[in-house]
Amino acid sequence: MKLALYSGGHDFENLGMDKALLDAIGKKNPKFAFIPSCSYLSHLEFREFVSQYRKHKVKKFIHFPIDTPFSSVMKEEVFSGDVIHLSGGNTFYFLKHLRKSKMLSELKKFVERGGVLTGLSAGAIIMTKNINTASFPSFDRDENEDNVKNLKGMGLVNFEFFPHYKNSTRYDRELLSYSKTSKRQIYACPDGSGIVMNEGRKTFVGKCYCFVNGEKILL
Amino acid sequence: MGHSAKKQKTITKSYGKFDSIDGSHPFKAAVPEGFIDYPARIRRGGKVAFFNYGLAKEMGLIPVSHQEKMDKELENKLLETFGIVIINEFDQMNGKRFSKKDLKPGKYMATRYLQLQHEDKTGRTSGDGRSIWNGQIKHKGATWDISSCGTGATALSPATAKHNRFFETGDPTISYGCGYAELDEGLSTALFSDIFHRNKISTEQTLCVIEYEKNYSINVRAHGSLFRPSHFFGYLKQGNYANLKSSIDYYIDSRREDDSFSNCPKGKKKYDYLLDYICKTFANVTAVFEDEYIFCWLDWDGDNILMDGGIIDYGSVRQFGLFHHEYRYDDVERFSTNILEQKEKAKRIVQTFIQLVDYLKTEDKKPLDSFKKHQVLEKFEEVFNQRKNYNLLKKMGLGEGAIEVLLTKHSGCVEDFKKVFSYFERAKSSKGLSRVSDGVSWDAIFCMRDLLRELPQIYLSRDEHISDLEFIEIIRSNYATERDLEINSYRKRRIREFQDLYSKLIEFSCKEDGTPKEKRLLEMTMRSAVINKMERVTGDAISLIVDLIMKQRKKLGSDEVYKLFKKFSSFQTMDPSGQSIPNKKFWSSNLMRQFYEIVKERREGI
Repeated sequence: MKLALYSGGHDFENLGMDKALLDAIGKKNPKFAFIPSCSYLSHLEFREFVSQYRKHKVKKFIHFPIDTPFSSVMKEEVFSGDVIHLSGGNTFYFLKHLRKSKMLSELKKFVERGGVLTGLSAGAIIMTKNINTASFPSFDRDENEDNVKNLKGMGLVNFEFFPHYKNSTRYDRELLSYSKTSKRQIYACPDGSGIVMNEGRKTFVGKCYCFVNGEKILL
Repeated sequence: MGHSAKKQKTITKSYGKFDSIDGSHPFKAAVPEGFIDYPARIRRGGKVAFFNYGLAKEMGLIPVSHQEKMDKELENKLLETFGIVIINEFDQMNGKRFSKKDLKPGKYMATRYLQLQHEDKTGRTSGDGRSIWNGQIKHKGATWDISSCGTGATALSPATAKHNRFFETGDPTISYGCGYAELDEGLSTALFSDIFHRNKISTEQTLCVIEYEKNYSINVRAHGSLFRPSHFFGYLKQGNYANLKSSIDYYIDSRREDDSFSNCPKGKKKYDYLLDYICKTFANVTAVFEDEYIFCWLDWDGDNILMDGGIIDYGSVRQFGLFHHEYRYDDVERFSTNILEQKEKAKRIVQTFIQLVDYLKTEDKKPLDSFKKHQVLEKFEEVFNQRKNYNLLKKMGLGEGAIEVLLTKHSGCVEDFKKVFSYFERAKSSKGLSRVSDGVSWDAIFCMRDLLRELPQIYLSRDEHISDLEFIEIIRSNYATERDLEINSYRKRRIREFQDLYSKLIEFSCKEDGTPKEKRLLEMTMRSAVINKMERVTGDAISLIVDLIMKQRKKLGSDEVYKLFKKFSSFQTMDPSGQSIPNKKFWSSNLMRQFYEIVKERREGI
């Protein structure tokens, strides 16, 4: 299984993550598909996405919003590619529409047959067992305006992911508290860092932290 | 100095420019018979429902630094400037008396122009039936005409012409002709025109909407020049040389400060200059209307459109999601033209200008038909076709450089592609003609915007043609039945032809400027994602959005409405350069989410 979980940040901050991802892909001229969390303004995010990976000589890109009607032709094109990227945005809205468009199971199958799935922030959270980490900290959380009740993610990894982490007391307070109630380890990654999974091997890129049973560990 | 005197001084300083909007307009002196002048009074009970701060700043009415926030002082100024009603013939004949403090010092003109719905057909009885011109202002080298709709029944309304009597403003026995306008109409125009304006389509813009009881309103509009071809066609039909000459001379002189008229000669040659301007303007505008699926009811009277091709009177204006070229608006007594007939009507307007200019130059009015083979009409066809070709290449997602090369060196290929593109774009449902909310239509079945958005990505991805089934799968709309989607041998050929020509154009453009194909396709992918955006507003969507606003009116102040419109319009700006970045906080309001859902839901409609 090949996965990359980006925390966030600018493209220049993510060079390490990009390199680890491209190593994991292990293929020349890969085809990247970009699934935005929401079609609104997604052309701008797509532009940034293209610019980020063109620096690494990637040439083939597809823009594939799933909260608007799409053709089966485009869908096939996306799933016949090498990499699918789930963008950042509102985690609840994104999950709702991935579920509504029946993409969650399709994406799982894609990963199982060797496709590389990457996610940034909300996109990365959705790759985990649940999207609880989108609901805190209280001062910087996603609003569940769509009233999404089923918070189950794709369950591709056995940990939880906390993006945009800042090494500060107020973040730690909420993460430590949550870790006491969660059965799984929570990996908290500042912007520019993240986790790359390559056939069972887990690589932490940049400074990452683990919160477990009320403790914080620098990885 | 007392407190009130001090306050008075502040008001004059802040919003003094509004005071010059007092009914005066240079047209009055130029063409004294071109209008009916009305005294007016303040109409009490008004409230500002919408104010376009951006436009007001551009016009110099408020300082650039002015907050986008309504205060009592500004609201009062708007109400006293624009919240007015004319004292019409009915009022005068019935000796109606009004409070002196409500009387406006200036007089306001209702201009005369030709309208096909008047039996007279020569413009003697027609013109601004429920509008008056508030005035004209200048700011930083630009001129703005300002007029208001809903300011009372004039003697130029169809009702007066038909019944040969004057009507009281607000007379409930007649709807169109009572002199009032409606709030939803004003808000629809404000939103629709802002979207077009941001997309560089010339249009009237809404400056302000003032609401009154029973959802009546006064809708204030502004544009560089609010003159329509119909303002001149009336005098032409009447053979009134003197008034025709003075009105045309006025128009040309009033535009000399604009870029498009800066080289206009003096003497009789100025009329040829005007004719050339009209020919190019109307050829370009109709080509854009066709390709952007904008329905604007053009007809021989030259009404519903401004001299610079700008859209005016949004009552029947629509933007289709697909090329619904059989749609006709039902105006009770007649059906409108359809989108394809717009070009012929525009050409007819140009032909009328040929007659008009010839008349001005020779003082001999010849029959309109004697100009049907005039070289200016050939020029019209040429400009129209060039613009259609340009529009198509732009919609493909090509940049300006690539477009120019293709238009100059491979125009044959572009023409062939345009033909096959039209074949699919114009395909209609087997269901036939049917009734729609405000007219009749025969549904288009293919969404070419979807194809233009997806094709470059697919070609980039797999570097080969898509199958016939895939082609149809991408372009099929919700209007298409299974029967409509049948792939017979003819359609198979057309699909192959489409893809061959599309690929050829890309190859030619790459060859000419040395751009690698993958890079070109990627550029096209990114540009086309914006130009052919899935969530493009239609006329149906605008109506539903305004309905939603009307239902929430009690909760929404004018500033909220302005902000909502501004956000929504910027989201509807199809600027592939990426320079017009819409507000990222689009989602901050639940109402915006509902707008978004409406747009998605109605994206294929009329």
